[in-house]
Amino acid sequence: MNKETEKLLFNPIRLKAISFLISVEKCNFKTLIDITDSTKGNLSIQLKKLNEAGLIDIKKYFHNSYPRTDYSITKKGKKSFEEFFKELKLLK
Amino acid sequence: MNKEEQLRIINNAINQTKQNLKPLGYNLVFWSIVVISMSLFHYFFPQIVQFSYYSAAIYWISIPLLGMIYTTNYNIKNGIKVGYETQLDRVIKIIWGVFGFAWIFIVAISLIYKVSPVQDVLFLLSIVLIMTGLIIKFNNVTIGGIGLLIFTAYSYYNPVMNLLLVNVVGLSLGMLVPGLSLYFQKNNE
Repeated sequence: MNKETEKLLFNPIRLKAISFLISVEKCNFKTLIDITDSTKGNLSIQLKKLNEAGLIDIKKYFHNSYPRTDYSITKKGKKSFEEFFKELKLLK
Repeated sequence: MNKEEQLRIINNAINQTKQNLKPLGYNLVFWSIVVISMSLFHYFFPQIVQFSYYSAAIYWISIPLLGMIYTTNYNIKNGIKVGYETQLDRVIKIIWGVFGFAWIFIVAISLIYKVSPVQDVLFLLSIVLIMTGLIIKFNNVTIGGIGLLIFTAYSYYNPVMNLLLVNVVGLSLGMLVPGLSLYFQKNNE
């Protein structure tokens, strides 16, 4: 696993978010706030970083005129997380 | 943040995913009540439903289509309320989506060839119920599906059976009862 991804997952909010996303198909922003115990602004920044690294997908859409955002893990994200988890268990 | 802490964060985040089967139970109960009510109404008031060949077709297509719109809307709203979708939710959604398309196909074919779609739909429904029960590991739904499959097979060999009553009995035992037990089960998360 590259150092950049390792550094990215060292942040607890990003790690919580990606750990939850690996166990679900997709989830919304409100759920991720609850899961990560984070503020809207901070979470938004951390998710943007994960998205820029290609680890998660962000899908924005409207439902009944309300804006919605769904987050899901990408193939690259799954692979990176699995490698990260494997290394973590080996080091333990 | 040390390694133990990282593992603890991962473990806690993954464990926050809960599988809620109540909406599936609601869908099963809703559809069984709709189809049973429609069958009973058709059975007791055939002069209204069957005043022409097309009136019966419109009756059996329009109401289920309205039901499909209602349940799709309910499932979308429920998905937004829960906030996430698990892999299991997606699998169940695909299976029932395929059933919906297959139902439209069977009804269309039966209209063209002027045959009753009841047994074919019940056969397909029993297979989907068995699959759902096995996937969610809920025996009542699996048993309901097996019961419906046996009942449907029996109805093929008894052409004198009234197909509307076949619908009522088959759906009551195969879908309504398992749906209610799924909806009211205490520990479905």
